Amino acid sequence: MNRMTDKENAVHQTDFRAVGWLMQRLTGIGLLVLLALHFWLQHMPNGFLATAEEYNLILKDLGEAGPDFADALASGMLKEALPGEHVITYEKVLERLRSPVWKTIDIALLVLALSHGAQGFSRVIGDYVQRVRLRKAAVAVVWITTTLLAILGTTVILSVGVN
Amino acid sequence: MQENSERKGPSAKNASFRTFLSTASTYRPRAGMVAWLLHRLTGLFLVLFLVAHIIGLMSLNDPAAFEIYVTTFRSPLLKIAEVMLLGSIALHAFNGLRIMIQDLFYRSETQRFLFYLALFLTVIVTLAGGTALIFPYFIAPLLP
Repeated sequence: MNRMTDKENAVHQTDFRAVGWLMQRLTGIGLLVLLALHFWLQHMPNGFLATAEEYNLILKDLGEAGPDFADALASGMLKEALPGEHVITYEKVLERLRSPVWKTIDIALLVLALSHGAQGFSRVIGDYVQRVRLRKAAVAVVWITTTLLAILGTTVILSVGVN
Repeated sequence: MQENSERKGPSAKNASFRTFLSTASTYRPRAGMVAWLLHRLTGLFLVLFLVAHIIGLMSLNDPAAFEIYVTTFRSPLLKIAEVMLLGSIALHAFNGLRIMIQDLFYRSETQRFLFYLALFLTVIVTLAGGTALIFPYFIAPLLP
């Protein structure tokens, strides 16, 4: 009675995969909203990015602030904004992430994107890796990496603007 | 796994790069298969990008490092890559919605129409967003 029969095992596996199927739809819907918002905020011209004029002023201040920035400006690792360009800059990110609401939204996006990606990638592995032990090992590596990235990303988001 | 006993086609027996090429070159693409392939390819690309993106954001611990990190993505070549990123996200999102609609409402007869709709919406979003992304780099210099 302790060991599952093949049939019970198959049913158990199906249940487990069904949870993944449902999760993929739920995280997908969440990403639809949060990723659209994220791309709008960080890539499209709007108030969450610096305008060209603002950015060039920031660069000017930074150049005077320390040797790190002065070197970067001289070597082209920092470049002035083109006319009409909108640029992501530390100041603007800091301003937004001071709010716990934005921190929560960004952590939700991080976790949704990671779990959706890990789930999808595991499905792809399941399609091509047919040796059972190798497949289980590969999927385990995916989820361990995902957990580490989630911890790393959450730590970064939480620590912005704290000191 | 029991695949070995069930597979009978010549391509499975002599699986090689040559048989793959001969299959691929004679394959007639259909909407459902193209949708599956694009969804998978964009998904894998987005997973790779996500990992790089999260590791890159470690630079937020240091303002100088963050500004330099962001500047590397402002080269003209990577601006075009950014448009491709937007296109991949849009296609994966719209096709994902299509999959959900089919699964939940069991409308298999509309799948081809919905795929063309997803492609159409992807093109619209990529053109609109892409124009805004590349405007200062490629369009503004052409204007008088």
